[in-house]
Amino acid sequence: MTEHRRKGGARVALLSAFAIGGLLSGCVDAGQEGTIAMAEEGSPFVAFNIWVKVGSQNDPQGKEGLATLTANLLGDGSTQQDSYQQILEKLYPMATGYGAQVDKEMTVFRGTVHVDNLEAFYGLFKNALLSPAFSEADFERVKSQTLNYLERGRRYNRDEDLGKQLLYWMAYEGTPYQHPEEGYVQSVQSITLDDVRAFYEKFYVRNNIVVGVGGGLPAGFAERVRADIDTRPEGVVEEVPPPAVVKPDRVRVLIVEKETDASAISLGFPTELVRGGPDFYAMKLANAWFGDHRNSFSNLYQVIRERRGMNYGDYSYIEPYPNGSATQDRPVNFSRRSNLFEIWIRPISLTQPGNLHQRTLFATRAAWRELDRLVANGLPQDQLERTRRYLHDFSLNYGSTVSRRLSYAVDDAFYGLGPGAGYLASIRPALAALDKATVDAAIKKHFGYSGMYVVFITSDAEALKQLLLSGEATPITYAGEQPAEIQQEDLEIAAYPIEVAAEDIRIMDISQVFESR
Amino acid sequence: MRALLAATLLACASLGALAPPAAAQTGEDIFPFETHRFELDNGLRVYLIHAGSPGMLAYASIVRTGARDEVEQGVTGFAHFFEHMMFRGTAKYPNFDGITESFGGNRNANTSQDRTFYYIVAGSEYLEKIVDLESDRFQNLAYSEPDFRTEAGAILGEYQQGAYSSFSMLDRTVRETIFNTHTYRHQVIGFEADVRAMPEQYQYSLDFFKRFYRPENVVVVVVGDFDFAQAEALIRQYYAGWAPGYQAPAVPAEPEQTAPRTASVEYRGRTLPMLTLNWMAPGWNATDRVGVALEILGDIAFGPNSDVYRKLVIDEQRLQALQAGFGLSRDPDFIQVMAMVSDPADVPAIEAELLAEVERFKEELVDEKTLADTKSAMRYGFLMRLETHLNVANAVARAIINTGELEPTNDYYRTLASLTVEDVREAARQILTEGRRTIVTLTQAGG
Repeated sequence: MTEHRRKGGARVALLSAFAIGGLLSGCVDAGQEGTIAMAEEGSPFVAFNIWVKVGSQNDPQGKEGLATLTANLLGDGSTQQDSYQQILEKLYPMATGYGAQVDKEMTVFRGTVHVDNLEAFYGLFKNALLSPAFSEADFERVKSQTLNYLERGRRYNRDEDLGKQLLYWMAYEGTPYQHPEEGYVQSVQSITLDDVRAFYEKFYVRNNIVVGVGGGLPAGFAERVRADIDTRPEGVVEEVPPPAVVKPDRVRVLIVEKETDASAISLGFPTELVRGGPDFYAMKLANAWFGDHRNSFSNLYQVIRERRGMNYGDYSYIEPYPNGSATQDRPVNFSRRSNLFEIWIRPISLTQPGNLHQRTLFATRAAWRELDRLVANGLPQDQLERTRRYLHDFSLNYGSTVSRRLSYAVDDAFYGLGPGAGYLASIRPALAALDKATVDAAIKKHFGYSGMYVVFITSDAEALKQLLLSGEATPITYAGEQPAEIQQEDLEIAAYPIEVAAEDIRIMDISQVFESR
Repeated sequence: MRALLAATLLACASLGALAPPAAAQTGEDIFPFETHRFELDNGLRVYLIHAGSPGMLAYASIVRTGARDEVEQGVTGFAHFFEHMMFRGTAKYPNFDGITESFGGNRNANTSQDRTFYYIVAGSEYLEKIVDLESDRFQNLAYSEPDFRTEAGAILGEYQQGAYSSFSMLDRTVRETIFNTHTYRHQVIGFEADVRAMPEQYQYSLDFFKRFYRPENVVVVVVGDFDFAQAEALIRQYYAGWAPGYQAPAVPAEPEQTAPRTASVEYRGRTLPMLTLNWMAPGWNATDRVGVALEILGDIAFGPNSDVYRKLVIDEQRLQALQAGFGLSRDPDFIQVMAMVSDPADVPAIEAELLAEVERFKEELVDEKTLADTKSAMRYGFLMRLETHLNVANAVARAIINTGELEPTNDYYRTLASLTVEDVREAARQILTEGRRTIVTLTQAGG
């Protein structure tokens, strides 16, 4: 039984009009200085991405979290024209909104609207950026919500996300990258509305703001947004030097004590890899083979989850991937001048009373051993080809929406990648140009290490510390039979050495995590 | 801003996801894309849809089985577990993941109460490969007992990711207070004891596949840039041998609730108190005026644009958060208002204010502008989600899950467009009653 209905003409029905190549480049018009216009004729959507060149690295000492609180107050507060409630009322029938995302180096304000509602939406969005009310009531609300997250949600809801944040905190100690973007409990408590106002006046100046717009843009729209932003005064913004890349010279461990039946594990170290820089695509390929996010054929996943069923997944990263438990869309607008190589082992549960730490260390050793094997052996030619082909096709997913394509274009601007040389446009040709020698040399250079930062969140931290120091093998058992080759490999993994000194293992109670600097 | 951003996204999502979209005012179909439906002799239904970016497609297989179907004792969480097993290969294609990798397929699956949703997004040139691969695993899935036991370990790990959050604990308590017999009593992930016992359930898993993974219980939705005739021919060819034999589970009906219930639970981490007001609501039906009005009532009465939100969240700041989840399920299920209270001592007063607000919506009519704005929000919420191939498939999934057909998507928005302010009040009167109500509070242990 079949039915066949044909429809047409509805304005909402338009397919994106650009060709498939558009998915990998957008149609960026670099045009005017400080403006990124990505027109996609016929698109029923308009996306905004206003990039302010400020981030948590600009937070004053003792006021960590100020960049985030400032941006959130703009995104979630009243304007001189409308109260917060009036803004919500006006946005409501459009079924959209706008919001801020703050990272180490960049703040973006994003929103997407149906073209029917462009004028009404833009009026509100513009006011939020250019004429915030800085009302005391909004400030108290946003600050209180932030503190609730810092004191409770961040510590108690998802250990694996917290573990990742702690890895950055360890690896960037003493640099402007160290503190979480949201700040510490005590530093946020100390922030006043005057601090926010001053921060806004200093950094939200016209020469520090890039306008990004994309989709079904009316004629002259990008220029109009730019002209509006240019009503902000000019200012002098001093550049924060990038954090020095210091690879650890030994293994350093943080164990967070918490009541739990499962351990969160993150480990890694800083690298010199940045998008568009030397070896970036070689290492993108190597990392995709080793631990591509949520892809079950990657090596870490195969070893720890697929063959051994130890947890839900195991991944690695050469660029930030915050909130990884919640999304499979590659994060955008987390551009940084320094990145970590990061291994994320998802929670390892006890399977019988008393075996949590054995299993925790077994999984850690398994990942560590795989990294060492990759550095020592390089990537076999067939694996290189396999991963190249996968990335060639899979990268079509990266720019799946107008907003995402525009966000990639903003990131390109951050890295100084001009039209045609942007990330999405470069992936395929860059992958095609790679050979085994290049990839293997890059692996040795960037994944080779002499030390490692390691974070565990687990119960009975002292016992884990002692087990780690003892150097004892930590074998595991299975619910089912395992083939002989896995049993053999398990013997090696269980005894794989992790050399760490007692003074390099720090224990912290969960209630103290991110309390203060 | 990560947690806050997530909260904002949730709030935005509630405009559309919880209280789904609105019909065009004209009575036209809201779903705008060219669509072709056909059905195989074995009962498999297929929708082909032209939408999205050139050169790509999303191939979705919607199994109308979820945690709801887990009727036997000791096997809660099985629909989700089975979703994992579907990636373990067949005799013809033992390495499913390796093949999807070879064409850069973005593929995954997810399980909810009422369905299991499998998808592959890839270049259109791989259509035949995808039809071959998907039809093969739905008919010929094969895995060994050791593989099965290994995968069970992954599920335990997944369980542990969220098990300790205050939200998860609260949700478990709400379910166990409201449901005694219906399978909505358990979360999709299952009871912990059942999750830990999963390695022993190999035989049950084989039965599960035979009973539920049958063509009459599956709807295939293909969205993208491809030729309808070619796709139909391929699907008819590859799925023709799939034998029918679906055995609908005897999901026990929940006895009607007639008196209010309360429960409280203590959380051992740190949290602000969370107060939930819940009511038993009817199953989803695209033409049921009460049901559709109820879904939008959640947003109108307790959403970010509501009077009580303005008072308690924005002006007085006595609540950190207020959310309404009034989306309906396939079977009668609870709807919920959740409030995170700033001061633990204020919980009783907040409860009284929220209940008073409920009474007000039973007495007063909402104003016409609010209703019109809500219809607009639903309509644009729906349209704005149609940007990617996969989201188009997701946008029609709800009607398909509940009815097996796509067309009720349009019926739903027609019903919505026709709603009056009296309908909204009637929904409050019929559903937000004391007899249907359950109040559950979570507080921090030791104060």
